[in-house]
Amino acid sequence: MKNSTLIKGTAAIAVGAALLLGGGGTLANWNASASQAPGTIAAGDLNVVNATSNGTWTDRNGQPVTIGTYKVVPGDKLTYTQDLTVTLVGDKMAANIATTGISATNGFTPANVSVSAPVLTVGEDPVSNPLKPTGSAQTVTATITFEFLSSTAARSDVNATYNFNNVGFTLTQVTQSGLS
Amino acid sequence: MRTKRSLQAAALIAAAVLLGLLTVQGTYALWSASASAAPGTVASASFDVALSAVPSGQVTNMTLANGQSANLAINPAATLSPGTSVYGGVAVTNNTNAGGTFNTTVTAGQPVMANVSGGSLAQYVTVSAKAAATAAECSATGSYAPVGSSGLVSQPVAKGGSTVFCFQASLSPAAPTTVKGQAVNITLPLTARQLCGVPGGC
Repeated sequence: MKNSTLIKGTAAIAVGAALLLGGGGTLANWNASASQAPGTIAAGDLNVVNATSNGTWTDRNGQPVTIGTYKVVPGDKLTYTQDLTVTLVGDKMAANIATTGISATNGFTPANVSVSAPVLTVGEDPVSNPLKPTGSAQTVTATITFEFLSSTAARSDVNATYNFNNVGFTLTQVTQSGLS
Repeated sequence: MRTKRSLQAAALIAAAVLLGLLTVQGTYALWSASASAAPGTVASASFDVALSAVPSGQVTNMTLANGQSANLAINPAATLSPGTSVYGGVAVTNNTNAGGTFNTTVTAGQPVMANVSGGSLAQYVTVSAKAAATAAECSATGSYAPVGSSGLVSQPVAKGGSTVFCFQASLSPAAPTTVKGQAVNITLPLTARQLCGVPGGC
């Protein structure tokens, strides 16, 4: 019995070795390989910055005004212009530009002044959201007008101030077909 | 049954909330950028009109610091006698610090006379006025005229410029001796008004 077990074990080992040899034979068959270069995935860009550090003020006749020293009188109408540089890169890029409005500190009598909300234009035309990449940076112009109304009576609002504080602009990507 | 319905409702709500949250998160996950501009502070000008009387030499702003109108005394140097006149004037200067154009006109209203100490001199005194370039012209007798109902209106006075109003008080040759030594207070209201600089009118 003991010999029989030994023989069986030896046979099993022999069969296993034979199988291993057979596996070695498989490696010897044809094989081939190929590699692909999927390339580099590059992200696009989205940004909005002030084109110039300070916007410009002009009077009713289009003449430049230094707002730090200029003193308005009833009938004055000043226009603030700030160019924004919008960068949009991406095949499915689209973004809306908007303003967060004016949060001014108004020392004038509200009825005596007329301040427009910021108006965004591209060239001469109102901005058409969403903006899409054009291959180069785009210029969006923000315009605000401040009018000291000529209906102001007596000596109302002499030596008054109207602080615009900060006027914010946001550029927000919007989803497109093929994005989620 | 009730438990089952509750569970179904809860599951529905949970699914809706999850869907909502996923939607919101998706929106925020997209890119955004912001920029801000600081347009600065717009300041209004002062509306200061300086008055200088001749011959008294009194100088004042038309509007006092407390917002009240100033009173300016001209005080003619000479005294009146029947058939003669005394003269005085006031130089009005547009002293605004406006950044742009700021033209004004100054109007002298009709004089109001009041007898002093119960006298009767006022009825024999007439007041005339004229606009002039310098106070020296006030003692020249020509071109004085009574002040009309709309007052005497100056030419436009530009920023930093000035105009002069001259006044002449004359005593009638017919004044009786009873008014001798009497005095009369003559009040002339002066008004400065900004001229409209807006194209198309104000």
